[in-house]
Amino acid sequence: MAATLSTAVHTVEWSGEDVEVGDVVRALCQLREESAHEAEGPNLRTSVMTHLAWVPSEWEEAAVGTLAGLGERHPSRGILLFPEPDGDDGIDAKVSMLAFPLREQRRHIAAEVVELRLRGQTSRAAPSIVNPLLVPGLPVFLRWRGRPPFGDHEGDQLIDVCDRLIYDSNEWPDVPQVYAELPFDRAACSDIAWRRTEPWRGVLARLWPDVGEARSLRVRGPLAETSLLVGWLRSRLEREVELEHDDADELTEIDVDGHACAAPREHPSSSDLLSAELDQFGRDSVYEAAARRAVG
Amino acid sequence: MTEAPAVENPLLEGLGQRRTPEPCVLVVFGASGDLTHRKIIPALYALALRKLLPEKFAIVGAARSEWTDDEFRDQMEHAVREFGRDDFKQDVWDWLAQATRYISLDFADETKENDLAGLLNEIDEERGTRGNRVYYLAVPPQAMPTIVREVGERRKSEGWVRLIVEKPFGHDLASARELTALLSEHFTEEEVFRIDHYLGKETVQNMLALRFANGIFEPIWNRQFVDHIQITVAETLGVEGRAAYYEHSGAIRDIFQNHALQLVALTAMEPPIDFTAESVRNEKVKVLKAIRTPAPEHVVRGQYGPGYIEGKEVPLYREEEGVDPASMTETFVAAKLLVDNWRWADTPIYLRIGKRLARRETTIGIQFKRAPHPPFEDATTEELQPNMLLVHVQPDEGVSLAIGAKVPGQGMRIRTVHMDFLYGGAFRTELPEAYERLLLDAMLGDQTLFTRSDEVEEQWALVDAIVSGWARDRPAFPNYAAGTWGPAGSDELTRRDGRAWLRH
Repeated sequence: MAATLSTAVHTVEWSGEDVEVGDVVRALCQLREESAHEAEGPNLRTSVMTHLAWVPSEWEEAAVGTLAGLGERHPSRGILLFPEPDGDDGIDAKVSMLAFPLREQRRHIAAEVVELRLRGQTSRAAPSIVNPLLVPGLPVFLRWRGRPPFGDHEGDQLIDVCDRLIYDSNEWPDVPQVYAELPFDRAACSDIAWRRTEPWRGVLARLWPDVGEARSLRVRGPLAETSLLVGWLRSRLEREVELEHDDADELTEIDVDGHACAAPREHPSSSDLLSAELDQFGRDSVYEAAARRAVG
Repeated sequence: MTEAPAVENPLLEGLGQRRTPEPCVLVVFGASGDLTHRKIIPALYALALRKLLPEKFAIVGAARSEWTDDEFRDQMEHAVREFGRDDFKQDVWDWLAQATRYISLDFADETKENDLAGLLNEIDEERGTRGNRVYYLAVPPQAMPTIVREVGERRKSEGWVRLIVEKPFGHDLASARELTALLSEHFTEEEVFRIDHYLGKETVQNMLALRFANGIFEPIWNRQFVDHIQITVAETLGVEGRAAYYEHSGAIRDIFQNHALQLVALTAMEPPIDFTAESVRNEKVKVLKAIRTPAPEHVVRGQYGPGYIEGKEVPLYREEEGVDPASMTETFVAAKLLVDNWRWADTPIYLRIGKRLARRETTIGIQFKRAPHPPFEDATTEELQPNMLLVHVQPDEGVSLAIGAKVPGQGMRIRTVHMDFLYGGAFRTELPEAYERLLLDAMLGDQTLFTRSDEVEEQWALVDAIVSGWARDRPAFPNYAAGTWGPAGSDELTRRDGRAWLRH
């Protein structure tokens, strides 16, 4: 095992190639002690979750950027899994102990980030690798970048580890059909695309009771969000609503039966959206019904 | 024929429970004052930034100063930049500024009151605020009767009215009853929002969460397991330009009657059946009623002398600007309170409040009884303190639990360690200012965190009983040095019972 230990003002790190999971566990303990010496006053670990992220190579840059800020907003142990199925078998690891200073205080909040490159066969045995690294007794959130392989044995095993699966169906090429495959019976599901529709759902809800008789919906926006919106109306109103869709990068216009709706004031950022999903714990029955009816 | 019941809106299910008030106008009386600048306007800006204000909304500032709308807006922009907790965003401010008007008002001038009513009607027409009004009385007590009467007499038939009243709610029981009678001439109790900003603090509300959302605490939250409770509300500041008020109020009316007794009530109350305003306030009133009037020897008052605060020399109270050189006003009160009910019988609540103390902190300490029979030699547990659950209201908002743990190494030596839950550590969002929460609640008509008239009267009844005992003696003031934890009598209060104040 080749390991290095480096420290920064508020970060201590350990990394190694071809490591065992036990090495990572020991590094976590060791870094926690190291960071306590680095910071002025003891570091607090007030974790609220283990945050898993499955990050195929094409999503690596975006994922690392998003996660960098989340450790501070949601104190957690973050485990980033980078699958490299075509490499030689083995695990490369980097463990960082980040210390976020608390405003007007000497103490720091500790957040742990574990980055694992799962090469070869190990990428197909992810649950056995992450299980020893989960913080006991806390919920596990799995953020899956790209399209999860629903129905695939390895993918389902990893989903079974988590309490909540978070994805953005805007990243999927086969919406709305794929909504029929969502694993609602295996884990609570959060769709960031669904969260993006929330301000518009608020606008439509304010049209009650007139909207209760809606027959058609024209949406200018991404297909995923459009499909979820019409699925939501169909399921909540228990009636057929025809959809007319104009593709766009974001939701900008909605007409109900030919009448334009006023745009909402809220425009949450992508980190706000993910953060909001990390605050959810139970199943979202309204979303599940909307996804089912989005298919048609 | 009976009308069919309205069908509930099925589209609301699952939507975020964002609480947005109905359209309304907020009228701030005392708009040129310190409270408006430091708290009210920055709080409104923070609510606007988070889009928590209704879209159809307006602010009307009312004060004696001869300002135009633009001059008032300039003042308020300055206040937001200086006292706001968020970065200044021009578009947010522009939205708030265009909704802001000002009227110069002599509170005793009836013509001007008509002008205000006219302006509010004009705003209703322009902005669709439907006659809904929130009146914020950020004015001295002497200005209150005129405003209450004038506003009450001009209330419209359409829309709702809410009246936010700042403390002091009287200066004794009789005057508190007079104020209640005045308010009730024109407003119902449901329309009156008596603001005690302590109740808007996240950590004060967290006391309710800690007690009633955690099954492990409530079973031991009683006389069987709790040895005593300590509540400290300590300031390092002096009177800071408030001498005229403070000389008449003293610590007992300024802090003890309201903030401190609110903390007692939240700590000792029974679980409410739900979290509605009436249920919570009913339980608080029951506790206040159950507090026994403390015997004279169970109350200690003090006044600070010269000393040092954070390394800087500070003068004695009697040399503060505006203070009578022979003042007998107390700047410190400590008391041993007993709550005569089944839960707390014979379990003392030690309470101390004061100015120019050693550190700024507000804490509630629940000291549990010692383990009945630790099977260790005495020498190994000499550093072991009884378990203490310490709620940090401010600063370092959070909760810590003192537990005994084995010192690593040979043998069995045990010492006290602290497990900390730091509020800002688990929830990495900025805690909202108390006024943000309370202003929003008032606009929403939620009175849970506001004080009801019978609560105020129970608080004053206790304070009056304590103060009447003070008429019979004349302590030698000053009796504690600035920068310490109060007079020696305060330590004696706990020492007599074989206990001690926390020294942290």
